Amino acid sequence: MKDLITVAEFTIKSMLKRKSFIISMIIILVLIIIGFNIPNILNKITDDNDWNSKILLVDNENIFEGTLESLNQMDSAYKFDIVTNNLNNEEIKQKIENGEYDCCLKFLRNETGVTIEYTVESVASFGEIPEEVLEAFNMLYTNVQISKLNLTPEELQNLNTTFEVKVTETDENPASGDQFAIMLLSLALFMAIHFFAYQVSSSITTEKTSRIMETLITSTKPRTIVLGKTIGAGIVGLIQIIIIGITAVISAIIFLPKGALDGILDVSNITPMLGILIVVYFILGYFFFALLYALTGSTVSKPEDVNSANSPIAIIEVAGFYLGYFSMLNPSSKINVLASILPISSPFSMPFRVIMGTATTFQIVLSVAVLVLSVILVAQISVKIYSSAILNYGTKLSFKDMLKIYKNKE
Amino acid sequence: MGLEVKNVTKTYGTKIAVDNISFSMQKPGVFGLLGTNGAGKTTSIRMILGIIKKDSGDITWNKKQVIRKNINFGYLPEERGIYPKTKIYDQLIYFAKLKGMNTKDADKSIKYWLKRLELEEYTYMLAEKLSKGNQQKVQFITSVMHNPDLIVLDEPFSGLDPVNTEILKSVMIELINKGKYIIMSSHQMSTIEEFCTELIILNKGKTVLQGNLKEIKDSYKANKLEIEVCEDIKNIIKDAGLELIFEKENNYQIKVNSEEQGYELYNLLAKNNVHVNKFEIKKPSLHDIFIEKVGASK
Repeated sequence: MKDLITVAEFTIKSMLKRKSFIISMIIILVLIIIGFNIPNILNKITDDNDWNSKILLVDNENIFEGTLESLNQMDSAYKFDIVTNNLNNEEIKQKIENGEYDCCLKFLRNETGVTIEYTVESVASFGEIPEEVLEAFNMLYTNVQISKLNLTPEELQNLNTTFEVKVTETDENPASGDQFAIMLLSLALFMAIHFFAYQVSSSITTEKTSRIMETLITSTKPRTIVLGKTIGAGIVGLIQIIIIGITAVISAIIFLPKGALDGILDVSNITPMLGILIVVYFILGYFFFALLYALTGSTVSKPEDVNSANSPIAIIEVAGFYLGYFSMLNPSSKINVLASILPISSPFSMPFRVIMGTATTFQIVLSVAVLVLSVILVAQISVKIYSSAILNYGTKLSFKDMLKIYKNKE
Repeated sequence: MGLEVKNVTKTYGTKIAVDNISFSMQKPGVFGLLGTNGAGKTTSIRMILGIIKKDSGDITWNKKQVIRKNINFGYLPEERGIYPKTKIYDQLIYFAKLKGMNTKDADKSIKYWLKRLELEEYTYMLAEKLSKGNQQKVQFITSVMHNPDLIVLDEPFSGLDPVNTEILKSVMIELINKGKYIIMSSHQMSTIEEFCTELIILNKGKTVLQGNLKEIKDSYKANKLEIEVCEDIKNIIKDAGLELIFEKENNYQIKVNSEEQGYELYNLLAKNNVHVNKFEIKKPSLHDIFIEKVGASK
């Protein structure tokens, strides 16, 4: 146990002191801060009014009874200037040609309603009257007309009937939760597990390359080295995720307007219990893949061979991720249940079935048990092959060689 | 207390790497493990330390298995390895802790050995910035800093310059005086002769010679005469019926069958008024014995 802590501690210190780690971490944090500032940057640019289209509204007949001003309070890409004196076509044309306005809308009463005279340099370049602007005129005009009817509040309420929707789902465990948030979290979990598990492989190959293995394995047991390294790299991964998470939350609080993410990301379904479950699946998923990468890392002697040795594991990992990811599109399907129990896909699937409320307690227990047993099995296989493979400095070990090593009882 | 290696064999596929070797170390000192490249020295060492499994035979320390629980051992592998991106002190502390030392004792020992091997100035330097010789000395420290009873050194002097070789030799003497059991594998016969009392010579995994070095050498008759004179004596050597092996600037190495033949030549030189600066009748060196034994078995 003492040796395990020593190996893990050394791995953590080595990884944290590495220049490549520090630089990549700084780049990630800077990108996060910049990312959360994009709305502010865009606002800065659009504040110059170069971005908005300027529209001239001519209401000399006072059809809207002074309510057109309220259009400028709308959150739109248009800036409206309202004139109530009569401008003739020549004057309007001149204002558009000298670039004062992009277009002009002149309101005139007719026998049945209102005519809008739309003047624009070219319909091809500016387009038709925007739909949202037309809708706004319609609403303003209706309100002006209703106010003239002197209706009671009840009559007004009857006019603006709202439709209440009540949903009944026939599925026993209907899915809930924000699909976008869930998929985003699944992707983040996959990236974190992949990135840090992969590092274990590189770390072991680096030790082989630096020929320090013999000194190391006469100082402690191979099992301690593999597990210590895996734990160390995992802790660094968690530290990195926590730093990234804290930076993202602080940036969101400081730089984003209140409620800016509400429409995009709903994390209200993530309770502390679910948070713990996500961490458990991250740890188990990480161990499962990191130990597999430790195995492949020990079979090569040159850093340039690491990628090819890791390919089979990477394919399994990606297949597991996609199985979990795409089966989420149909949360109540049998394939989704299977994906949440299979060890290659459960870390990317089960936490999100829990968020959606489609997983039963039995399925959660079964999934965790299968994953724990798989981690133990993979650890045994990895340690055994690692112990023999680390002193092999020849060509890369084939799958047949690894099978032979594993079958060898001695 | 002692190491016992009995009938140990190791095969890789159809190739026999070590074939039924046996030896023992019953008292402190240096045991020499000699052999050509691929003779089975490193495989034997790896089996002794349990890095690889033996096919058959017994290896014991005080009748117990050689594992860290039963014996405190140190090992300098033939493959020199170091963490290039880690400071010398940090990696020494790491290995010291893995070998069971606490931080305080490890710190004290590391500082002692860094000073002893003249590496103090590199204490907090990245290992990759050190020369190969200095990296080798750092690795040597990992094999001795935890005060082990058994020290296994695989080619400890290879790659060292004369100054560092002398430093390491003085450390070896210090370890011998402290009563350590040292197994040393080397190609440098002079260092084996300098330190070893017992030895084994391997060739293609088989034992070709083993025993006490002095007894082995004593069993050989004198066969070489070295003479240093001030003039050309080739004709006198020829007249004496002796075979000249090598000559350089009036330093002659001559083959003799007995010590008497050497003294006869000395008398002949005196009769010819040749002034002799050096006269030494030599028994075969370990190098000669090694060549004879390994060459004969090839």
